Amino acid sequence: MVMLLGIIFVISVGSFYLIHLLPGDPAVVILGTGATPQNKLILYKQLGLNKPIYEQYFTWISNVLHGNMGTSFISQSSVAGTIRAALPIDLELMFLSQILAFATAIPLAMRSARKPDGPVDRILGASSFTLLSVPPFIIIVLMVLFISIKLGIPHTGPSSYVTFSSDWIVNLESLALPAITLAVGSFVVYYRVLRSDLIATLQEEFITMARSKGISQRRIMWRHAFRPSSVALLGSAGVNIGGLLAGGFVVQYLLAIPGLGYTLITAINMSDYLLVQGIVLVVSVGVVLINFIFDFIINIVDPRISRE
Amino acid sequence: MSTDNKLLVVKDLATVFSTAGGPLAAVGGVSFDLEQNETLGIVGESGSGKTVLSRTIMGLQPRTNVTVSGSAVLNGFEVVGASEKAKRQIWGTDVAMVFQDPMTSLNPVMRIGKQIDESLRVRQGMSRSAAKARAIELLELVGIPSPTQRYNAYPGQLSGGMRQRVVIAIALAGSPKLLMADEPTTGLDVTIQAQILNLLDELKDRLKMSVILVTHDLGVVATRTSRIIVMYAGRIVEMGSTRDVFQDHRMPYTRALLESSPKVANPSHTRLVAIPGRPPNLLKLSDGCSFAPRCAYATDRCRQERPELEPAGPAGHFFACWNPLPTTRGASPS
Amino acid sequence: MSELLEEASLVERPEKNKPLGILFWICVGWVALNVIGAIFANVLPLQNPLFEDFSAVNVGPGLHHLFGTDDLGRDIFARVVYGSRVSIAVGVGAMLIGFGIGAPLGMLAAYRRGRFDMVLTTVMYVLLAFPAIIATIAVLSFWAPRALAKIILVIGLASVPLVYRVIRTATMSIATKDYIIAAKVQGATDRRILVKELLPNIAPIGVSFLLIGIATVITLEGALAFLGLSVNPPTPSWGNMINEARTVLAENPWLVIFPSLALCLFLLCLNFIGDRLRSHFDVTEVKL
Repeated sequence: MVMLLGIIFVISVGSFYLIHLLPGDPAVVILGTGATPQNKLILYKQLGLNKPIYEQYFTWISNVLHGNMGTSFISQSSVAGTIRAALPIDLELMFLSQILAFATAIPLAMRSARKPDGPVDRILGASSFTLLSVPPFIIIVLMVLFISIKLGIPHTGPSSYVTFSSDWIVNLESLALPAITLAVGSFVVYYRVLRSDLIATLQEEFITMARSKGISQRRIMWRHAFRPSSVALLGSAGVNIGGLLAGGFVVQYLLAIPGLGYTLITAINMSDYLLVQGIVLVVSVGVVLINFIFDFIINIVDPRISRE
Repeated sequence: MSTDNKLLVVKDLATVFSTAGGPLAAVGGVSFDLEQNETLGIVGESGSGKTVLSRTIMGLQPRTNVTVSGSAVLNGFEVVGASEKAKRQIWGTDVAMVFQDPMTSLNPVMRIGKQIDESLRVRQGMSRSAAKARAIELLELVGIPSPTQRYNAYPGQLSGGMRQRVVIAIALAGSPKLLMADEPTTGLDVTIQAQILNLLDELKDRLKMSVILVTHDLGVVATRTSRIIVMYAGRIVEMGSTRDVFQDHRMPYTRALLESSPKVANPSHTRLVAIPGRPPNLLKLSDGCSFAPRCAYATDRCRQERPELEPAGPAGHFFACWNPLPTTRGASPS
Repeated sequence: MSELLEEASLVERPEKNKPLGILFWICVGWVALNVIGAIFANVLPLQNPLFEDFSAVNVGPGLHHLFGTDDLGRDIFARVVYGSRVSIAVGVGAMLIGFGIGAPLGMLAAYRRGRFDMVLTTVMYVLLAFPAIIATIAVLSFWAPRALAKIILVIGLASVPLVYRVIRTATMSIATKDYIIAAKVQGATDRRILVKELLPNIAPIGVSFLLIGIATVITLEGALAFLGLSVNPPTPSWGNMINEARTVLAENPWLVIFPSLALCLFLLCLNFIGDRLRSHFDVTEVKL
């Protein structure tokens, strides 16, 4: 637990310091074109830029803890507000992609573990390995290529995204492509991990005993083999999901889904550094929290696991 | 004897594993019969193929990289070549196995009651309450105290002897006609060993089951079996009634096996007789008798030609040896 | 029953004799080809990757332009070959930094244990918790202007904690083995043990991780290119070529296909080699 807080602390310092990496006066950087002398003064006051750096940090961090991450001078809207609007989209995307990934990986891994080196297993093994090497952005580009050429639908720019509550059909449609893309990467990992773990578990004696009772393959797989094997799966899920939060950016950006990733990239392009700082902080903390939660869950499922 | 009486008829059964080092003949050409209500002992060292044989008879060998040839008819059902689905029909109800190590043969994260229930509910379609009642009955049958409480225990909460009793209870759940006990007491304390074996005796009489007892320990089979098969390097080297095998054995290996088990009756400081040499490498079996390299009586013929089983006089006693020990029976010559 | 099989296979199986397979060598060949192409791009008979020939815009593959041209009339084949430079430079460079710093530290910490190990490992684990991708994106976006060296440096540094952890874990599992303790008892100096005993045993795992790491870094560079954080145009890199191609997908699919193929094949081969090496040298993995 202490570790967790320590890590979050370090992250916050890091995020905070980012702005100061930039050449020149931070105020000018933040204000961008709106850098009139009056605005500079206001900003100085707001962020305490004329004070020593640790004081600045304190001001900033206490603001953040109160939910105030500043107001972007570029977009004129509150950073916290922007983040709050974008975050649910990320969550939904993650949720959808993970459901897809698990729903395909688990049954297929079971099928392969039952007949290792059989035709199904080999094909899946080769294709999953190949897919491993294809970065998500290429998947998207190729999918778009395929769709636009095959179906003749020109690829339009701005997103057609709407929130779930307003029109859930369109919502799912618009998220389908990115969810599938992300699911592919996750699928590959989950499939491989679960398959190898299942194969190992199936060698155990109690599986032979269950077999000798005359119960069906499916029952053996689900009731006896899956539970011990799921530990490794959970482990990789934790790492993967954490990575997704961070790495799903490109996918979002390419398909103009206004999640945190998209927002981050556009913020960078528009030099909206205050927003960037806020997003970096939130995402990093999010990833750490997810890893922490998963570690926790794993410990509950199987306390025999010793963490290293 | 008409074949209708026989519970199990095995003919030329062979099991070959394909390993990284080549084909490994764990069991090579085994034939024998088993009557109803008979107790048969299969003895041999580690690596003799006895475990593989016991699994192959049931059809429980691994599904991949294994080839089984020959025939094993269990209660009228041909096991060799049967589909997994067909085999599932006989598992639990015609034949059941008691495994060696109850710690690894019980699912560690499932309550024992549930593990017994499983066959009752899935195979016999019992309702939950009926299955639970029967499971508790079974627990009582195998001698577990306070069965109603223990029903909910996890395997890790029970002692070794208790766990093995649970394994037996699970095996009995389907009322099998043949109980295959593979080293059921190895690894248990000596006092517990006797208890478990006595339990098996009792159950076998009560439930009218045949039992095949697979072990390396001759002491186990001495008083509890009516017939014994001695295995070496995947083949039967001697087979006959318990009495014949113990008192009139012909194959030198059988003698060596008997002599190597320490006896309490021996005077103190009697040297332990060990069989010289090491068990054969099954990947590289010679053309001759597999025991020849370690046999004190081996002749050239033994080294070049593998002996087949031949009758030893009294009905049912067979051995495979070119240079057998002289019979102790006065009357008939070998 | 499994003991039976184990015994048989242990007796018969010669150590480390699993053939690497022809596929392995094909991949090695492909990687080598790419590397040579990258290094010697200047002297190879290629078109000028920056030359814009407006008379031959978006031409398909043909004799004159092997892969065709892009929307500014530049030869795609030449650009792909030159582009490999960036990707390979980033991949190798960043991993060299990561390994150069992370590996010795990891080995030392695992071997020495004690205070040194505790402090260093805690620091590294904290750093590790900070998602590297975000750190890289953030730092690169704040620290203008772009330069290849800068990218290599940032990614390299970001990979240090991960390399540290992998090497440390691997070393720990070997350092506790008996023959290390035996060497110590015989009076071998630490340096000698490190170099003569530990290193050769870590090497296989290290190399395989190195290769996979290079693949990951190259992917990262690709992603960065999509975010506009990689090298500036008109310098070709596989990543920014694919990115640029997005706008003319319908008219010129070749612009996407060739760099994508180049990238994916290279990554695939790297991954395959790394994976094969790992299973070849991992004696604990018994396959029956």
